[in-house]
Amino acid sequence: MSPSQEVDVRRNLLAANAAAADALRERFAAAGTLVVNLISAPGSGKTTLLEKSVAPLRAAGLRLAALEGDIATERDAERLRAAGIPAHQIVTGGTCHLDARLVAAGLEKAAFGALDVLFIENVGNLVCPTSYDLGEDFKVALLSVTEGEDKPFKYPGIFARAEITVVTKADLLAHVPFRLDEARAQVRALRPDGRWIVTSATTGQGLDEWCAELTARAAAKRAARG
Amino acid sequence: MGVALEIHRACRARLAAHGPARIDRVKVAVGELSAVEPEILRYAWEAVVCDGPDAGAELEIEWRPARQVCADCGEIAERVEGDWLRFCPRCDLPLSVEGGRDLDLVQFAFTPLLEVPRVGSDDDGADDGPTPLAPDGNLP
Repeated sequence: MSPSQEVDVRRNLLAANAAAADALRERFAAAGTLVVNLISAPGSGKTTLLEKSVAPLRAAGLRLAALEGDIATERDAERLRAAGIPAHQIVTGGTCHLDARLVAAGLEKAAFGALDVLFIENVGNLVCPTSYDLGEDFKVALLSVTEGEDKPFKYPGIFARAEITVVTKADLLAHVPFRLDEARAQVRALRPDGRWIVTSATTGQGLDEWCAELTARAAAKRAARG
Repeated sequence: MGVALEIHRACRARLAAHGPARIDRVKVAVGELSAVEPEILRYAWEAVVCDGPDAGAELEIEWRPARQVCADCGEIAERVEGDWLRFCPRCDLPLSVEGGRDLDLVQFAFTPLLEVPRVGSDDDGADDGPTPLAPDGNLP
């Protein structure tokens, strides 16, 4: 038997995904479309946050659409269409995250037309979606108060990468032992320049701030197109 | 699991030019902020290779911790891995986080296998594809 041979590679394992993401990013830049990659644990309220964002963002004159990533079912896309936003479901068939090639294929099928903001709702998971660039402008991490304030240090990858952390279900703060200041301190340690927005879809708390942030960023993206 | 598949795919793509070969071991670099848990990756790797010619291939994981850095004092040596400081223990300034995002295929080793004629054909004229190798890389 021949002796073992070594091959030096030193290459990022997700280089193929990164190349596909760069191609998407160029496309979004040319179109002036702001792309937001939403990541959270299952049940943190990604779809609900989007449902509640439709009316205010529409009122600001923004054309919206959403790509919904789920392991199975069309349910989230149906919810968003019912809320009045064009949505296309990407069923990953067991894969726990979206990748740039799935997003490109989803966009092809969805044929949304001209957009100001494209939301990509990732598969509910705080781990795997973290590493996959989807050509987005920024990642948003959602943290619901029912999950516990220790999540940022438990899942540092996503909270270090998310430009915005949105706390959800803040109306339940009186009923759960969630220390908002501790969660804030953990996120700040991982991402000192990150934006922190506390929301409740039930009371409407923080939704103005969230929508104003998106509106400002969408205007900047459009302006950058020239 | 996706990352383990990607490691295997990347090695196999590099091996395509070398003819038949068996992967002996693979070295990857995994950062603390890569969102990849070494033990789970090792488990997934075994699942990816267990039924093919690379069964038993060893996965070596080089762990790359993140650093917390103070603008005034530099890297914070007091940091315990897996935990994070909120502020600089000396000057109380907020800290920035650097590094720890690696997710790289560093190197792998393989053993070339001799070209062997196909055996076990059922002579029905249909293409049965290559004869699968036993886990030790030999023909069964």
